[in-house]
This record gives sequence, C-alpha cells and structure tokens, in this order.
Amino acid sequence: MPQTTIFVRPPGVPESAPAAVETRELSRLFGGGVALGGLSIRIEPGAAVMVEGSNGAGKTTLLRILATALRPSFGTVLLDGIDAVATPERVRPRIGLLGHATALYDDLTASENLRFAATMSGIPSPDVEPRIGTALARVEMASTANHRVGGFSAGMRRRVALARLLLGHPRLVLLDEPLTALDASAVDLLDGLLAEWAGQGTTVVIASHLADRLGAPIHGCLQLENGRLARVSGPGIAEVVPGREQLAAALPSASW
Amino acid sequence: MTEVTSDVRVIIAVAGKDWRGELRSRQLPIGAAFFGAVTLFVFGFALGPDRAALAQAAPGLLWLALILAGMLVVSRLQQLETDDGAGEQLALYPASRGAIYLGKVTAALPFLLLLGAVLLPATAVLYSVVIGPALPALVATIVLGSFGFAAVGTFYAGLTARMRAREILLPLLLLPVIAPLLLAAVRATVAALAGDPFSEVASWLGLLAAFDLVMVAVGAATYGTVLEE
Repeated sequence: MPQTTIFVRPPGVPESAPAAVETRELSRLFGGGVALGGLSIRIEPGAAVMVEGSNGAGKTTLLRILATALRPSFGTVLLDGIDAVATPERVRPRIGLLGHATALYDDLTASENLRFAATMSGIPSPDVEPRIGTALARVEMASTANHRVGGFSAGMRRRVALARLLLGHPRLVLLDEPLTALDASAVDLLDGLLAEWAGQGTTVVIASHLADRLGAPIHGCLQLENGRLARVSGPGIAEVVPGREQLAAALPSASW
Repeated sequence: MTEVTSDVRVIIAVAGKDWRGELRSRQLPIGAAFFGAVTLFVFGFALGPDRAALAQAAPGLLWLALILAGMLVVSRLQQLETDDGAGEQLALYPASRGAIYLGKVTAALPFLLLLGAVLLPATAVLYSVVIGPALPALVATIVLGSFGFAAVGTFYAGLTARMRAREILLPLLLLPVIAPLLLAAVRATVAALAGDPFSEVASWLGLLAAFDLVMVAVGAATYGTVLEE
C-alpha cells in the first residue's frame, strides 16, 4: 500500500528543496512495542507544527528523533536535506530543543547555566555575555540571573531553558510540552517567541496536549495515536501518496 | 576558531561547570574525603591492634580506600548529567565527544587528588606508617593512579548512568578494569615506603603512566557511544 506523506507548509510559501524536516517511514520500536510507526512528513521552512496526542502517543519519541537524541529503528530523517541519522553532528548546530526536562544544573546560577550552554554551542567568546543578557531579559529573568536555579520554581526553570534556545539561532526549534508549569504571562511570552521564529523563517515543532492555550498561528496539527498518524488538520496541510507528488503543489493550502 | 582552541574551551567549560557546582555545594569533596577516612578507620579495626600487620597492609588499604571513595567522585560527577536530563542536552551540543570526556576526567582529577591528600596522612597516622623521604614517590603514585582512575571511572560512570542497576554495575565493570592500576599503585607504594631498595618504583610508575595513556585514549575515542542513546 502506498505510504501517505503529510506536507506542512506555511500558506503562501512555495515548496522549497530541501525541506526543513523530512521523514520517510520513520519508526521506533521500544521493547517489542511500536512507539512510532511509519511516519512520513515533510515540513517546509518557517512552518509551525503541533504534534498532539495522549500520553504514550509518540510525541516525545518523534521530537527526540528529530533532535538526534534518539535513533529511529527504521526510516530516514532529513533536516535541511542532511541525513540526521547518519550524520547527526552535521545537523545539531541547527537544532534547538526544549525537552520535558529543563537540563539545568541546580548548583549553577541562571547565567552560569547559559554561559556553559553558549560555550558548548560554539558561540564566540565576545558574543557570549551580550547574548546571555539579551536572552535572560527576553524571558524576563534578568533580575535572577545570578541566582542558583536549584531554588527556582518549575516555571522559572522553564524560562531559563527557553533563554538557552535564544542564545543561538536554530533553524529548527523543537518544544516538548513547552506549556508545562508556565503561567499566563509566560504563555504570552512563548506566543511572542513563536511569532518571532515564524518571522525569521525558523521551523517549529511543538509536542503538546495543551495546544489550545497557545495563540500563535499553527500551520499544521498532526494527531498521533499509538505511534501512528491518526488525523491531520490545519491551513498548511496537504497529503500525497508516492507517484502523485503533483498533488502537493496543487493543494498548498488545503484543510483536512 | 581552530578545532584545538574549541576543544580546550569545551574541556574548561565542562570541568569548570562541575568544579563550580560541587565546590559551591561542598557535598562531594567533604563526603568523599570523610567516607575514605572512615573506610581506612574500619579497615584498621578489622585488622586489629597489631601495628606491624597494620603497617604491612597500609599500602593496599590506602589504595582500596582511594578507589572506594573515588567511585563516589566519578558517580556523583556523572549524576550531575543525569539529574534533570542534562546528559541528553550535553550529547546534543555540537562539541567534540573526546573534549567532553576530557572535561569530565579533568573535573574528577582534583577531587581524587584531594582524597589522596587526606587519605595519605590518615594512613600514616592510623597505620603507624612513616612517610618521610618516600613522599615524592608517593605523590607521583597518587597523581598517576588518580589520573588513571579518573580516565576509567569517568567512562564507566557515563556508560552505566542511564542503566537501572547503575549502582551495582559501576563497581562490577570498573573494578576488574582497574586491577592493573591497583596492582601497580600498591607495588609502587610498597616500594616507596620501603625506601625503594630495588629501584622498582620507577618501573611501576612507568606501568601506571602507560595504563593512563591507553585508558584516556580509549575513553576519548569511544565516549561518543556513551553519550549517545
């Protein structure tokens, strides 16, 4: 049976070659079970994609594979046309991940955590301090820059982790349950960041089951159930099957 | 920026991050040193009051205490990466895996040397050992032994970090691999304390140095597989 490929493209944006994200028959098995089964998607640069589903649907597995934190059991992942499975080191500088965990060191201050991240990301030394200052100010954490994150609330930790994403200029941002522990003002902040990323042509993939709290435009929603694509919706969605790729060009703004 | 400059930046960043955090909390240096001293004390109890027997066993017991307390060091430094998912983020940075490994080894080394600085005089006091002129050879033995232990311990602590039974697996995997290090370090310590009558300290130190070089090279070359999934 021909495999359906889901295209997600911001309305009005022509198909580019290569896509920001392209997966083919992407699968991941865990202990005999299927965490992700045969997912084929193509996301154009600048698109904002929401991945929805209940617990265990495969959202985090998909994001971790796209982030190169997890290897797929089968299938291909191309990021900007680069094989992310075979050469993860080539795509990592382009990716920003905010995972379930904030990945912060409790005994370091917010700015020390960001300084470490900036150095590890290869940001040139003269740029490090200005970028830390800008990033912390953007997430409204400048006043606690020199406080140890071990004393922060879950929401404050989330903001510092968001600031870490702002240190670099990732072309692909992956947000796993970004709304967890965020208050209303932080959700507004995230909406603002999503709008900024959209303006910069940054592709964003968000896994969440609280999608309705976000106000930023989403071009495509992928609903996962038991690791498989159950439904798709959104203004930038089109589906094609192999051999009928012209459909994608004919339906740039189809709603499903 | 050259690759070497970039790697040096990564090594300093990883080691500096661990030092800063642990010196701020003080849990690791105080806890490991206290555990090592208590271990020496308990070994002394087990051997009884015979001063000659204690002095004869001192080199082996010193190194056993250093290794047991050293396991706390490498295990704690690895735990920093498993808390709050930091290890996964560490793996995603576009930094050389070898440089990250060398950063973790560099982070462990001062804590292991601190253990040596505490446990060597403690051994002298508890086991009636006269260090005197043997001090330079003993310091060299502790430096080389600590470096080798950091090289192997960092690798295996990373390897077992995400395993369920990591507390059991770490000593099971680590202790057999460091058997040559333990042998060479104990023999060098015995020879140094005896005044090196057969000029054998240098050859044992040479064996320790060779062990260190091989282990750090293997660790740096293969740490990528430890960091990845």
